[in-house]
Amino acid sequence: MPAEMRLFVDEHVRYIQSLDTRKDELEYWLTEHLRLNGLYWGLTALHLLGHGDALSRQDVIDFALSCLHDCGGFGAAPGHDAHMLYTVSGVQILATLDAFDELEKRVPDGRQKIGRYIARLQDAETGTFAGDEWGEQDTRFLYGAFNALSLLGLLHLVDVDKAVAYIESCVNFDGGYGTSPGAETHSGQVFTCVSALAIAGRLDVVERDKLAAWLSERQLKNGGLNGRPEKQEDVCYSWWVMSSLATLDKLHWIDGEKLAAFILNCQDPEHGGFSDRPGDMVDVFHTVFAVAGLGLLKYPGVLEVDPV
Amino acid sequence: MAPKKFYHDDPAWSDVEPIPQDDGGPYPLAAIAYTDEYREAMSYLRAVMAKNEASQRVLALTEHIISMNPAHYTVWLYRAKTLSALSVPLSEEIAWLNPTALRHIKNYQIWHHRQTIINQLGSPKGESDFITSMLAQDSKNYHVWSYRQWLVQRFNIYTDEELAWTESMIDEDIRNNSAWNHRFFLVFGKSKDAIPSQEIIDRELDYAKSAIRKAPQNQSPWNYLRGAVRHVKLPVSTLKQFALEFADTEKPDEVFSSHALDVLADVYAEEKGMEEQARRALELLAERYDPIRKQYWNYRMGLLGEGRVV
Repeated sequence: MPAEMRLFVDEHVRYIQSLDTRKDELEYWLTEHLRLNGLYWGLTALHLLGHGDALSRQDVIDFALSCLHDCGGFGAAPGHDAHMLYTVSGVQILATLDAFDELEKRVPDGRQKIGRYIARLQDAETGTFAGDEWGEQDTRFLYGAFNALSLLGLLHLVDVDKAVAYIESCVNFDGGYGTSPGAETHSGQVFTCVSALAIAGRLDVVERDKLAAWLSERQLKNGGLNGRPEKQEDVCYSWWVMSSLATLDKLHWIDGEKLAAFILNCQDPEHGGFSDRPGDMVDVFHTVFAVAGLGLLKYPGVLEVDPV
Repeated sequence: MAPKKFYHDDPAWSDVEPIPQDDGGPYPLAAIAYTDEYREAMSYLRAVMAKNEASQRVLALTEHIISMNPAHYTVWLYRAKTLSALSVPLSEEIAWLNPTALRHIKNYQIWHHRQTIINQLGSPKGESDFITSMLAQDSKNYHVWSYRQWLVQRFNIYTDEELAWTESMIDEDIRNNSAWNHRFFLVFGKSKDAIPSQEIIDRELDYAKSAIRKAPQNQSPWNYLRGAVRHVKLPVSTLKQFALEFADTEKPDEVFSSHALDVLADVYAEEKGMEEQARRALELLAERYDPIRKQYWNYRMGLLGEGRVV
């Protein structure tokens, strides 16, 4: 196998382990607002690479729970306000580590508390979700709510039908979805809407062939995927586009071999990690989506992934 | 870069006891390294938040922290609360926000903050110029376009002027999908089920067609054209003659647009006795003009026998 077609597993594992020791770097504190997300991304990438134990389970649980507020929401880091995005990461981390029992032990009624926090963020009028009490709304938050609630087994706390109707109102002339009704179709938002519908068991409302055709058009000649028409490719769309295609049973509509080659070209073979496109700086966000993308492509050495 | 600003030796802050960061215990994953300047400013913010202080110095403090880390949304939230408590003229806030937004173009918090302020101000005056300056940096910025849509809806700006502006954005870059989406939103989006007049339909189809003639492989106007035809419930055969300008299954060496072949495949699939032509269009796509999506085109071929189209 030529060098560029190899997955550098050990280097990636070391890269993720090292993230927490890079505190002297400016970038580290500038991304403080993503700390809990970053931990989830790193943890997930490690699990997919078969090295889930490379971070201490107890440390991760301790950190996640130190971000949990009394209101049931998680903040990005201790002392940060609660927000949907971190709450979802918090729940995902606990689910990945099978730690809901530990949550209950340390926070009585913890699951219900978190579930109720999420449920309160649903807009009773439109069915979509806000990110926090401040009220910014986005289909990202709707998906996050569904994802976390389904992991908690508490989806019944929200009005699923109303949320589904809201997603339907976001469909655009090209068959895709944006952040809100009329907003431009974007692969990331397609992922959030399609996955939320999959969780709700309501993929029947999607125009499958039309949407999957639009998604498959995201592949460029170099094998990479873009997020919107006439934009540049980026490794993170390997996940947003591919997982949506997989959920719609149309993953074979893109050229998997070419995409795998593109993703592998985004590795830093020396220090580990993936960047958005070949030659750029690596980060943990692009690393998890690159690895998850390879997982969907059933690349050897990566665990298979559930697209939703 | 601005000189560093510290508070411990500032007489204006001598009455405040800063509250240092609680990392949540001795967890190795939790400890966060800051620069001294940021760490100190945050400790003063915690102190004023604990006392619910709303004052000019709080505004200055939040401004300072935002300049160091605009993605920390707690700071924005507290700033918004302080503004409303102080009844500061909101136009001043917008004047401050403009250069800040230009420095941090992909930041979510700034846009939400702006929306809150403009909503309270109740007027979109000046916003169009501001958006133009933002788009000059990144003409496809999703936040900016979403914000523009919000303005249109909030202040009912479904106007000819707005349409002309959108057109100027498309003229500048005919491949700007965000601008195309905005046009669709303006023309067809006001009411989801209403079908515009024949005059408007003709104008829109002509507009997309003339853009395609300039760049036949550009996805955006093709999506627009097909979306418009579908929206007003016209059959895809409406586009047959136009598609033939760019591709003809009889002339496989002279294809100028794979999208035209795609349209023709759909047109022929619906046309009686033209199944073979549809197959040929799809074969050309799978083999020559868009082989990376071979499986998709093959799937379409499989549908032909069943009399179904995508």
